[in-house]
Amino acid sequence: MNKELEHQFVTNLEKNQNIAHKICRIYTNDKDSHNDLFQEITIQLWKAYPKFRGDSKFSTWMYRVALNTAITLYRKKKRSIPTQDYDSVHFKIKSEEYDDEVEQHLKLMYDAVRQLNDIDKALVFLYLEDKNYAEISDTLGITEVNARVKMNRVKTKLKNLINP
Amino acid sequence: MDDLDLLKKDWKKQEKNLPHLSYDELYKMIWKRSSSIVKWIFVISIIEFLLGVVLGIFVIDDDYWQQMEKFSLTEFTIITYGLSYLITFYFIFRFYKNYQRISTTDSAQLLMKNILRTRKTVKYYISFILISSGFLFLVTFYMMMRNHALTAEPTTKDMSFDTTQWFLFIGGTLLVLAVLLGAIWLIYRVVYGILLRRLQKNYKELKKMEME
Repeated sequence: MNKELEHQFVTNLEKNQNIAHKICRIYTNDKDSHNDLFQEITIQLWKAYPKFRGDSKFSTWMYRVALNTAITLYRKKKRSIPTQDYDSVHFKIKSEEYDDEVEQHLKLMYDAVRQLNDIDKALVFLYLEDKNYAEISDTLGITEVNARVKMNRVKTKLKNLINP
Repeated sequence: MDDLDLLKKDWKKQEKNLPHLSYDELYKMIWKRSSSIVKWIFVISIIEFLLGVVLGIFVIDDDYWQQMEKFSLTEFTIITYGLSYLITFYFIFRFYKNYQRISTTDSAQLLMKNILRTRKTVKYYISFILISSGFLFLVTFYMMMRNHALTAEPTTKDMSFDTTQWFLFIGGTLLVLAVLLGAIWLIYRVVYGILLRRLQKNYKELKKMEME
């Protein structure tokens, strides 16, 4: 029975692992923390899996648990990480590849996203994942109206970060 | 608005650069936490042993041996050092075995068994340290006393203790011993306690999962 559960879980996780990797991209700056967060997400998912009844899709459930993990973990560390130091390693590498103006702008955007707080990052992430407001509100456990209001605020925040 | 949509497009493009883990790698990840805790127990035991050796090199010099000679503790010291190194080696070996066993475990039941085994090994190890420290302290103290009694010259007329003084003396000695052992116990509680607590938590989670 338990073996069966493990097999089911790992198969689902393997198919949907991109979700976790993308969350790690938004929340972490280097490969090591990416791997740490990924592992933490995996463990949290596995712990929560017995409670997953299958009344939603695995991916929907995974968005919720994985984002919660990232938010909780990030919140714990928040005080020790100054936002100024957020100049990320893998975006530095990326920046060498950015040659024209559009790409330069993209780099600025990514940097700005990294400076957002834990919840705002989750909002941006879900937006980038093409989720509609109903899905966003469901995943984050807030009302749809609240999600819209928050998203608008995030957009303003991003604008201010890019053109100070 | 435009900005975010630009980002969205790029976000989609980035998807193909994401890492991809295999089924086996992900499978192992579920168990990894316990194995890394047990690995730390193993690493710490080695560090501790090396610290002991380094400390030994600094403390044990000719003066030290002369002192031991004076208290006729030379053989005793050599034997205890030899024994304690042997026993410590044995524990390091056990810690290593535990680590090896846990990192190759692939069922929850076995993992739980190994976690219990690891906790037991650590407990035995700490008991060994406490008992041997206490024993060492008492023997050294006794030999020093004996040496003092044999060699000291009675300078004052009344050297012998009356009953109260004996009580105070024994009480004081036991107090020092208690404080010493308490301090050692505390250090080990802090060093290994954190790791053991994490293992315990992991064990409980596994058990819960088994029940469901």
